[in-house]
This record gives sequence, C-alpha cells and structure tokens, in this order.
Amino acid sequence: MAYFLQLVFAGVAQGCIYALIGLGFSIIFKASQVINFAQGELLLVGTYVVASAVLNWHLPFLLALPLGLLVTILIGLLFERLVLRRMIGRPPFTVLMITIGLDIILRTLVVVGWGSRTIPAATPFTVTSGFNVAGVHLGSSDLWTIGVTIVLCAALYYFFRRTRYGLAMRATALDQEAALAMGIDVRTVYALAWGLAAAITTLGGVLLAIDSLAIDPNFGNAALVAFPAIILGGLDSVSGAVVGGVIIGLTSVLTAGYESRLPAVVGTGLHEVTPYLIMILILLIRPYGLFGSRKVERV
Amino acid sequence: MIATRERGRSRLRQELPREAEPPRLLGSLARWLWLGVGVLALLLFFSLAGDDWFTIINYCLIAAIATLALNLLSGYTGQISLGLAFFMGLGGYTAAFLGGNPPQGALDPWGLGLPVFIWLPAAGLVAALVGALIGPSALRLRGFYLGIVTLALVFIGNYLFRNLSFITGGPQGRNFPVPAFGGFSLDQQNSILGIALTSGQQYFLLILVILLLSALFVYNLSRSRVGRAMRAVRDHEVGAAIMGVNLFEVKMGAFVLSSFLAGVAGALYVSYARYVIPDYWSLSLSIQFVAAIIIGGIADVWGSILGAAFVFALPQVIDYFSLLPPSTGGGGLSSGDLNALLYGLLIIVFLLFEPGGVIGLVRRLRPGRPRLQAAGASAAGAGADAATLKEGGESIEVVDLQQRASGPDEEQGRRRTGAS
Amino acid sequence: MSERPNYSTLPGHNHQLKANEPLLRVEQLSVRFAGVRALSEVSFTVWPGELFAVIGPNGAGKTSLFNVLSRVYQPEAGRVTFAGQELLRLKPHQVARAGIARTFQNMGQFPTMTVLDYLLLGRHTRMHSGILRAGLFIGPTRREEWENRTYCLHILDLLNMKEVRDRPLGSLPYGLQKRADLARALAMEPRLLLLDEPVAGMSLEETEEIAAIILEIKEQLGITQILVEHDMALVMGLADRVLVLDFGRVIAEGRPAEVQANPAVIKAYLGEESEQLPAPADDLPAVSEN
Repeated sequence: MAYFLQLVFAGVAQGCIYALIGLGFSIIFKASQVINFAQGELLLVGTYVVASAVLNWHLPFLLALPLGLLVTILIGLLFERLVLRRMIGRPPFTVLMITIGLDIILRTLVVVGWGSRTIPAATPFTVTSGFNVAGVHLGSSDLWTIGVTIVLCAALYYFFRRTRYGLAMRATALDQEAALAMGIDVRTVYALAWGLAAAITTLGGVLLAIDSLAIDPNFGNAALVAFPAIILGGLDSVSGAVVGGVIIGLTSVLTAGYESRLPAVVGTGLHEVTPYLIMILILLIRPYGLFGSRKVERV
Repeated sequence: MIATRERGRSRLRQELPREAEPPRLLGSLARWLWLGVGVLALLLFFSLAGDDWFTIINYCLIAAIATLALNLLSGYTGQISLGLAFFMGLGGYTAAFLGGNPPQGALDPWGLGLPVFIWLPAAGLVAALVGALIGPSALRLRGFYLGIVTLALVFIGNYLFRNLSFITGGPQGRNFPVPAFGGFSLDQQNSILGIALTSGQQYFLLILVILLLSALFVYNLSRSRVGRAMRAVRDHEVGAAIMGVNLFEVKMGAFVLSSFLAGVAGALYVSYARYVIPDYWSLSLSIQFVAAIIIGGIADVWGSILGAAFVFALPQVIDYFSLLPPSTGGGGLSSGDLNALLYGLLIIVFLLFEPGGVIGLVRRLRPGRPRLQAAGASAAGAGADAATLKEGGESIEVVDLQQRASGPDEEQGRRRTGAS
Repeated sequence: MSERPNYSTLPGHNHQLKANEPLLRVEQLSVRFAGVRALSEVSFTVWPGELFAVIGPNGAGKTSLFNVLSRVYQPEAGRVTFAGQELLRLKPHQVARAGIARTFQNMGQFPTMTVLDYLLLGRHTRMHSGILRAGLFIGPTRREEWENRTYCLHILDLLNMKEVRDRPLGSLPYGLQKRADLARALAMEPRLLLLDEPVAGMSLEETEEIAAIILEIKEQLGITQILVEHDMALVMGLADRVLVLDFGRVIAEGRPAEVQANPAVIKAYLGEESEQLPAPADDLPAVSEN
C-alpha cells in the first residue's frame, strides 16, 4: 500500500510537470491555432542554460533559473517576431512545419555548444531531502513541483479571467477577426502567448531535470510526452491540459512501478509508451479529446 | 507488342481530339533531352565513381524512396505524418525476418533465409497491411491530431522493436545477411552481361530500378483521377467531398501506398546496412523526411529526390571531403550538425519565402516560362492569396480562412449541429 | 456571346423530364446551429426541369439549406427525398454520385489547381481508375483520361474559357473563377444543380453572361436548378418559382410576381437594408453591385 501511495505521489508530481509543459502547448494553440513543435527544444535550451549557470558559472540556483527562463522567453519572442508574424493566415500545417525547423536548429545548437554527452542537472535540493508520512517519502523536489504547478495554475486562471491581456488572449482565441475589430492588438497577444508558453515550459523542464538528475540532448523529448496530455485534455483547453498531464503522469509512473511484476511478455520500457497508448485509446472513443471542442466548418 | 500499342494509340487519336490528349511522359523534345542527359550522367557516375561514392548515393536513393512515400501522404494528400520511421522499421524487420539467416546466436534470431524477390515485396506488403489496419482510426483525425498519433506510432514501434527480440534481436539489433539468390550474391563481384560489377554497383542498379518504378508510379498517380482527388482533399476536405470525392477512400489509399513504399525503403536500408537496431527508426528520422519534402518540394516527384539528396547525402559528402572534424560527442561542429543546422534553417527560409521548395524555385526560374500574372484574383476578395501562387511548382500555401484545422472530425456523414 | 452555344452537344445530359414526379422534396426541415435555429420546419418541392430560387435577407438560412442538401450539416429534424432516394442517408460524396452538384459561394479552395484539372476533378464520380490503374497509367486509364479531358474541354469551349484551361484557378479574376466553378459543376453531369450565389461580386456584364448560361442549362440541358442569390433582378428575371426565407422560416413561395407583391416579403426586406429591396423587373442595373 505504501508502495502504491509512493507511486501515486510520484505520479502526480510527474503529471504536474507534463501539465506545465502541456500548458505551454495549450497557450500557444489557444492564441494562434499553432502546435509549437519546438516546445521541447525551448525546454532543452532552458535546462542547459540553468545547468551551466549553476555548475560552470557557479551562480546560485535562484539566479540561474530566471536566467534560463529569460533565454527561452527571448528565443520564443524572437521566433514569433521574426518568423511566425510573417506566417499569420498561412495554413496550420505550414506553421507546424516551420516550428519543426526551429526544433532542429535549437537541438543542434545544444549539441554543438554542450556536446551530446549526459551532464548533471542543476538542483537546489539534495536527493534525500523531504519528509516521510505513513511510510511514504515526500521528496522536496516533488513537493515543490506540485506547489509550483498549483500556484501557476491559480495565477494563470486569474490572468485569463481578470486581466486585460488575459481577456484579450481569450478573445483572440475565440475569433481572431472579431478581436482585431474590437481593437485588440493580436500581435501583442501572440508575443505574449509565446513568451508565457516558453517560460512555463522551461519551468516544467527545469523541474523535470531536478527529478531525473541528469540531462542530455534528448531531454527535449519530454515535451513529446506532454502531447498525449494535451490531446487527452483537448488541444484548446487549458484546464484540460492539467487533468491530462496528471492522468499521463500517474499511469506512466504506476506502469513503471509495477512493470517488473507484469508478465515477461510486456518486456521493458512499457511505461515509456503507456501515455501514447492511452492517448490512442481515448482518441478512438472521443476523436477530439476529453475536453476539446469541435468547430463548425463552413463551405 | 509495341506495334499494337502504337496502333491503339493512333486509333484513340482518330476518335478523340488531339488537344485533349493527356500529356505524355516523353511528349516533348526537351524531355527527351533531359532523359539523355540523365542517362549520360548515370553512365558516367556508374563507370567513374569509387566505392565510397556508391555508398553515399545508394543510401540517398533509398532515402528518396521513403521521401516519395511521405510526399505522397503529406505533400499530395495533406495528411501530416511523423510516423514514416515506424513503417520503414516494419519493412526493415519484415525483410530481416524473411531474408535473415536461420537462428545462430544473439545477433541472428529467427530468420527464414528467403530470397530477395520475396522479402522485398513482403516488406512493403506488411507495412501496407499495418497501415491499412491503423488507417481507419488514425485518418478520422485531422491535422495536428493525426501528426501526434503518427508520432506516437514511432514510440510504440520502438518499444515493440526492442522487446520482440526473437525477430528484432532486441536493443542490440540483428544481422541482415547478404541478399542472394542461388549462387548470386550482392556482396561480391558479379558479372552481368559480361561486365564485372562491384557490390556497390549492383546495389545501385537494384535501388535505382525500384526508385524509378516508385517515382513513375507516384507521378502517374498525381496526374490521374486519384491524384486530383488527393490534392483536392489536401486543399479543402469539405469541398472535395461535395464534388464526390470519398475522403476516406482517398486518404486510405495514400496512407497504405505510402506505408508500402516506406516499408520497401526500410527493407532496402536494412539490407544495404546489413544490420538493424531499433534506434534507426527514431522520431528524428521521420523529421528528416519532413525536412526533405519541404526543402525539395511539396507534391513533386523531383522535389522528393532533390530533398532526399540534400538531407541524406550532403553530410556524407562533407565528410567525404573531410571538410569538418568527425563528431566526438564533446561539442563542436560536425558535418551532421552543420547539415542539421542548415536544413533546420532552410525549412524556415523555404516556408517563408519559397513554399514550393528547391524544385519550385527551379521551375519558377526556368527560362521560357513567363512568370504568372496574378493580378486581380485577390482584389476580388476571393480569399485566395494569389501572391503565394507559383506557377508549375505546387505548394501547400493554400490560404483558406474557412477551414482551419480546428480539431479532428468524425466521419463526414455524422457531425455538426445534430450533435449539440 | 454572339452565337448561341449549343449545349445539347454535351453527352450525358439528356435527362428525361417526368414532370409528374418531384425531383426534390424537402419536408419539415429544421436545423439548429450552436443553439440558434437556422432553419425551422422548411418544406418545399422542386419539379424536374424547374429553375427554383431561394431568397431571403442575410442569415435567413439559405446557405444552411444548401449545406443540408450537400450533407455538410446534419439537420435536427426533417426529411429530404431526392429522385425517390432518402438524401439524409447518404454521405457527402454519395450526394454527388446521386446527381447533385453544387457551386461554391466563395472561391479560393483550390487555388493551385488548373482550370482543366478542376473540371476533371468534377468528373471524379464519372471516372473509375483506382490507385493501381492510375499509377500504371496504361490502356484504359489513359483512354479514360483522354475521353474525360475531351468532355471537359467541350464544356470550357461552351463557356468561352478554353484559353485559360491551363491557368491555376487562383491566378484568374474572380468572375472567371466562379465561371470555372460553374463549368466544374456542369462537368459532374448533375440532375440537380445548386447554385450558391453564382453572381456575387461580379460586374454587370459578367452577371449577364452567367444569367445567359443558367438559362441555357435550363432550356437546352433540362437540368433542374436551385438558385440562391442576393441579386434580386437576376432571381426575378430567371426563376420559375421563388421561395422566401426569413429567420429560417418560409414566409412566401410562388411565382416571382406573386412573391414580389407579398407584404410579408416586403416587410422582411424593409426590416433589413433598403438597398436589398426587391427591385422592379425593369430596374436591372441598379441591384447587381454587391
């Protein structure tokens, strides 16, 4: 039982990370109907910068983190400004492809700059820190992850419901032309979405790196696991991303925890694909995700 | 045989007006000239190039077959797929299983030792069959959703390939034997029609023939009823359906045929590399093919071949001339990195400025073709951004404000308002 | 068009007129659209060979009606019978096969397709080559292609568009695009032709040309047509019968002159915009800007 609870705790924590990364996708998708394929590589660059700042330049973690966020936000804003702004009105297919271009560039730059070897991740915690409750070890990093996610979600909720820019973003998501007509600066909204998404995703990445202790150039693939999370939640649903993230985190961690007890037929590495299997299953039943909305087409 | 065909053709010409004749493959002098130049170049390459060059070119030609497969699905039919590597892997392991040696050790698990003319088509057929099984549920989804599900296929495939070790040899991989039939083996000097051929040259001929057949098939498809339906589905699904195009049939056709070609390419790859590990069939392989169709040219046979050459042959050529130090894992710029940076950048540049890819650029700059006067079309507010149109080169720049990919759809028949 | 084109040379278009049996019967059709009623209990009948017009202010539900007939919208209730067939059981692509062709209100869906290819796309249901035969492109496929290109060129010739056959649709002026769309719909050899605002955005001259074509289609080919149009002069001049929708309801039906005199119709139009007043039949030029 304690083992199960331990796994549930770890699963929720990991789910929060997927939720953060998934939020990054959702925010950009909501604002501009674009799936940002380069999300994972923004996160990759961010974690490498934070790791370097702590390990090589000996900055304290609390200074390194904003530095990493700043770098990815800048990349996001620059990309939005220099490339995506010229793509407004182009088909989503093309825009997805162009973010694949950014993905390749960022990943290669990391390989060129830091090499393809695994390096330790920056962390403000020691591995064993935390406390025990009823035989369950609540690690500091996991507690922080959950806490940060809750605070961020509350802040985002407030932002989207109460602030001027948040409301503008929602209006733009609903109807770009109408938003333009109402005097909302759609470009500012896009820039805001990209900056926000880059920051939230990077935060998720740094938390994930703390959890996995080490990073390598494939670390960005973590964002790909957030795909099932947002598909589950529905691409355009921000709260759906959180629910989807937690579902994915739980199933993934639980599968990993019990994998050794499963019959030998399932082999190894099942937990790496359970998110995708669940996603395919859900899409078979509800082709637009659990919380996603359908849109009406005109002819 | 030729005589009867000629007679058939001239009979058609008497019945049907000349002006309506479908363009012939070699219908103009220019095309004959190009064919001549192509054959000459191939002959020169064939007789002068060394083994290293054959290795580079053979891999490139195999990649061109797979690029063609992706272009058929994504370029012509508009279905985003990141799952090409999965279907290549299926073909690769089918070939390895059917053509592999009988069990000998860890690197030679099950194998039936069948000849190449069985495992090569079988590789395509198995991939096509899996495509046909997955297609009905995957193709209900549209746009991003399909892209993400096909991405999931790559990871699920990787898991299967690592664990089905009685066929795949597990993470360490398995050997693939030399393709041979009877006493004729592709890894040694053979003499065909009195000409002594190296192993590389024999592979080259085999792969070239398959590439040419695939390219011809795709080209023919693109100028026929099915090809028009594919492009219509890509440009506007609802519009295509209203004109009587069965969306499901067309998408399935593209998906299955694309899977078949990818399977064949995977089998050729394994057979040429003589070894296969699960990590070959990674997401980044799929992405490289996406880069290839964008850089080469969307919905274009020549574009596919050029794109494959750019993405898959260029780093080897750079290596061949030792222009950059080999990759050590410690950072610094290797040829692979340079190439990746280049094609990442080119994806962005082409999509921004020349959506028709290299081939679109070539077609547009070709002499004797006046540039299109697109005035007036957009002035009427038709919604078509005529400025992005490039004559000849097809592009995915289908500006359509009414059909944003907003989510997947259920079958065309049941949907919309009734469900609310 | 100096000489009257002879449409009867088009093979396939000899529909027997059986005037005693309706071609299309719409009964109690209701469409709800995100909570709003787009159509409420709409019923009407279209007879073979008829030119039937549907008019109404913006948002009256005209295009929704067409979208139901092309099976893009699923109605909430109602029944549609086309040539004795339950239309609502068909999928969109089967509607085309059953003999209903539709022109698009806005062009721009297929900007890279050449005019000839677009017409050939219209021949989709009349051609048969599958993926394997198309890929090989020998014998029957080539013949089929040739025959259908002949057919399409013939239509282009009739509509005076032959010289633009190889131009991409997106490169043509808007009027020509819409005419190419009409040609494509004709290439489908329909029994029922749905014309969704065929002259919207056209010049007066272009409008007159399209009107002439519509009349030729009716008189020479005997194709039944349903016309949705804002251009009141066009509708009143061409249509045999007119159906008027307002807020998704039928408010009048009858001959053009009857409908024009109907107080409910006048009120519906006055309530909206004065420029869309039903024009007197002799006031042709004034209404066709749009």
